[in-house]
Amino acid sequence: MAKAILYDATKCTACRGCQAACKQWNDLEADETKNTGSYENPPDLSPRTWLKMKFNEVENDNGLAWLFTRRACMHCTEAGCVKVCPTKAVYHHDLGFVAYNKEICSGCGYCVDACPFNVPRLDGSRLTGKAKMDKCLFCIDRVTNGLEPACVKTCPPGALAFGEREEMVDAADLRISKLGEQGIEAQLYGRKDLDGLHVMYVLANPAADHALPAKPEVSPSVTLWQDILQPVGYAAIGVVGAGLLLNYMVARARMVKEKEGK
Amino acid sequence: MAHHEVERYSRGARLFHWAITAAALALAVTGLILYVPAFGGAAEGSYTRIIHRIAAAIFVVSPLLFFLTRPGRSLHFIKGIFTWGKADIDWLKAAPDYYFGGDEKKMPPQGDMNSGQKLWAVVAFLSAIGFVLTGALMWFAKASIPAELFLWATIIHDLCFIVAGAMLLVHLYLGAIHPRMTESLKSMLKGKVSEEYAKSHHGKWYEEISKDGEADKGTTPSGH
Repeated sequence: MAKAILYDATKCTACRGCQAACKQWNDLEADETKNTGSYENPPDLSPRTWLKMKFNEVENDNGLAWLFTRRACMHCTEAGCVKVCPTKAVYHHDLGFVAYNKEICSGCGYCVDACPFNVPRLDGSRLTGKAKMDKCLFCIDRVTNGLEPACVKTCPPGALAFGEREEMVDAADLRISKLGEQGIEAQLYGRKDLDGLHVMYVLANPAADHALPAKPEVSPSVTLWQDILQPVGYAAIGVVGAGLLLNYMVARARMVKEKEGK
Repeated sequence: MAHHEVERYSRGARLFHWAITAAALALAVTGLILYVPAFGGAAEGSYTRIIHRIAAAIFVVSPLLFFLTRPGRSLHFIKGIFTWGKADIDWLKAAPDYYFGGDEKKMPPQGDMNSGQKLWAVVAFLSAIGFVLTGALMWFAKASIPAELFLWATIIHDLCFIVAGAMLLVHLYLGAIHPRMTESLKSMLKGKVSEEYAKSHHGKWYEEISKDGEADKGTTPSGH
């Protein structure tokens, strides 16, 4: 059965405990960073930062809103990275999340550009092309052993929950109706998007205010080469190969005949 | 008849041809590894990506070197392959029968390069530009260009490969395997063909060079 992480932005205090727990459990080095005048740090995801809290300052009807977004792999069902990966290093785990086999990753980085959430990161040399991709692994070693992911385990305000995806959807609906009673209109992000995300967000503000795509989509150009160009290429090689073989047999036979005739 | 030979390709032209052949084959093999999922395992450790980049550098540098050492000849060649006329239509009409082993005499006499060779040169030339431009984008600008542009660069790179790859198969076949092209491969290895072969395959060209008494008046980049 599919598992999911539920992030409730209305409960999140942006303590960044999840960010630290992710580094600790996955043994990821710290990124060198500098003070840019924001609590948001480091500035972006990296091969060594698989989860970070994004701080958004948005002006809306109620004045200035300070909104937080959990930035990490959303573990899509219709996953651009899985679709585009030429070596099939990125794949769907039986539990629904998107895992990857780093050994067979060729470092092409197509997944980086195929991701609607701009999550995967390449580590390596641009010059030689020797590289590997990294991103959130859904704490595969923990969840396959009956534990929740490290970020969920550590979350002090209980903004993160983990369990069967269906249960998480139900929990989100319950929370949304509770918020509704308080006059807060909230939505569940990722319920149906990309055939259902395995990381879903309860948001009381528009997705765009959380710096999330309102309608996340895998670009048609991601699937074009494997759905169309690959079969077209095989067909072209097949037709040309068969044509040349036929040509060889016919031309040879006719030329031999001609020689004998002389 | 005494065994006379005429020069077809200069040493520089042959060197260029084989350098770019080696580069193109290395590029094709290391590129196919990403195109065919079954070969994907070979990409482990990114070594095919390193080879792809070294071969790409040879693929770019060798024509540039050739151009710099023989600019006039190169421009003449480029102009030649893009000049198409009625003679080419006659060739295209007569070609199927000829290549399927029909009567040699029905084929109109050919110049230095026949229309088929010109067609291959055009495809190779244009696809090389497509490969190099999209390849350079993917290699050097991945971090700075929009994701959509990167994805389209890979698609155009693939399209170039399908067209040029299919034509390369035809070129390899006609150059080395077709029963009628007995001296084609030899001419690119040693630079010379027999008079008989020159007469029967490139009659117009043979006439020109026998008139001038030198072998470098054709459109092929075979200057000295």
